[in-house]
Amino acid sequence: MRSVAIAVLLVGSILLAGCSGSTPAPKTLKVIAAGSLLAPFAEAEQEFEASHPGVDVQIEGHGSIQVIRQVTDLGRSADVIAVADESLIPDLMYRPMKNSSRNYTDWYQPISTNEMVIAYTNKSRYHEEIRPDNWYRILARPDVRLGFSNPMLDAAGYRSLMVLQLAEEEYREPMLFETLVTHHFPSTITVSSGEEVTTISLPEIMRPSDDKVVIRDGSIYLLSLLSAGGIDYAIEYRSVAEGMNLSYVTLPPSIHLGSAEYADRYRDVTVILGFPRFATIGSERNGLPVVYAVTIPANAPNPDLAREFIGYIANESAKGRPGWPAPLPEGAVS
Amino acid sequence: MRERALSRTIVLSVTILVFSLTLAGCTAPVQDSLAADWRLTINGTTEKVLTMNDLRALPAVNGHGYCVSTTGFRFGPYTCKGVDLRDLSAVAGGVEEGKQVWVSAPDGYLWVFDSDQLEGRGFVTFDENLKEIPSPPLRIILMYEQNGTPLSYDDGGPARIAIISEQPGVITEGSAWVKWVDRIEIRE
Repeated sequence: MRSVAIAVLLVGSILLAGCSGSTPAPKTLKVIAAGSLLAPFAEAEQEFEASHPGVDVQIEGHGSIQVIRQVTDLGRSADVIAVADESLIPDLMYRPMKNSSRNYTDWYQPISTNEMVIAYTNKSRYHEEIRPDNWYRILARPDVRLGFSNPMLDAAGYRSLMVLQLAEEEYREPMLFETLVTHHFPSTITVSSGEEVTTISLPEIMRPSDDKVVIRDGSIYLLSLLSAGGIDYAIEYRSVAEGMNLSYVTLPPSIHLGSAEYADRYRDVTVILGFPRFATIGSERNGLPVVYAVTIPANAPNPDLAREFIGYIANESAKGRPGWPAPLPEGAVS
Repeated sequence: MRERALSRTIVLSVTILVFSLTLAGCTAPVQDSLAADWRLTINGTTEKVLTMNDLRALPAVNGHGYCVSTTGFRFGPYTCKGVDLRDLSAVAGGVEEGKQVWVSAPDGYLWVFDSDQLEGRGFVTFDENLKEIPSPPLRIILMYEQNGTPLSYDDGGPARIAIISEQPGVITEGSAWVKWVDRIEIRE
């Protein structure tokens, strides 16, 4: 009988350890999202869970390409994918899943837009002077320190370079990009102007040679530096600056990358990254309006719940909530 | 006698059940085959292919490793054991000043280090609160043991890049911590 008792105890332990699958658990909705969506999605998580008892929304953040790679290259399971560049979904997910004839997805829904701004605090040098019509001259002053994300890692990083190049043309300041960027890197950054497109080619290592320019892997590190006075200005998404209650200078729509009307103008700039960090996508990043998009992978465990979450996000985005990426213009939602 | 036979049957059934659960993944699988099948190609002035035993036969270094994602999620702290990337590169000719080391993995991820970084310079470092701190001496290693055990697949095993220091609690940017490393190239 002792053997029977041991056996019963053993089975009991295994069941308690959760291997039987019989323990009722909350339904988990796995959302993988771009870094600049994490703050608004954290709000959405609380609200969605409150209106869906028994649902646990789990949000994980990465750079947009890494968001998609979690599902495509790393084989992880997710219910919702949300990225800061709509073009990435067709580029990286409209292809068959491993061991399947079905694509990772065949659709996406644009949900919001954003624009680049110059964020600062009351510790920033010349913050009393900076305005939409003189920001580029303030940034060019030798004692002003400028920060942006690493273009290798963050869409906001290569978009920052595009903004500065577009500004050079907008304000007819032919040395602006050189003064703000090129001069401060020991490795060569080349800017070549073709008939239609200006191409910025970056070195493998994006490490500045002086304190004028500061590069960090992601926004949160720039914002931390900005708050501490380690940099004076950071090129950021408007929603991120608003979400952090930072002061910011808005840029003209012809250069802020947030207006579909200026899409042709944005296409004038291309950034070539220093190396192909991901085998599944090339090193070329083209100037495009910033459009956030969501999709549900074909193998999502909870597609119905995912659709509800996306509907919720789309509705809330359309309201133009503070700290959220801006609503898409009327008629832009497909 | 019938009772003993019944007991034996139950014990046997439970044994089979536990074995089945193990196969189904309900207990931690041993990672031996991961290391046995692993090969590392190092391409420099020559090309060498190393096994895990070859890697473990090279001089090992130990240190503290801790990294953070681009969105602020921390991984670690760990104690790390592995081979200094300079020693590893020396297997295929070494890295002269001005050259680069391209580290890649079968999942398609690639990261590039320059010769300055191989000397531990040029990294951004943070404390536990993600406040930037002056960088202590750092080393880039190809790690095969984490917290005293072979690196698991989920942690990037059998071998991944780690940036270590002798000082605990130093956080580095995680983008350079390439997982599942299987190729190292030394380039101009």
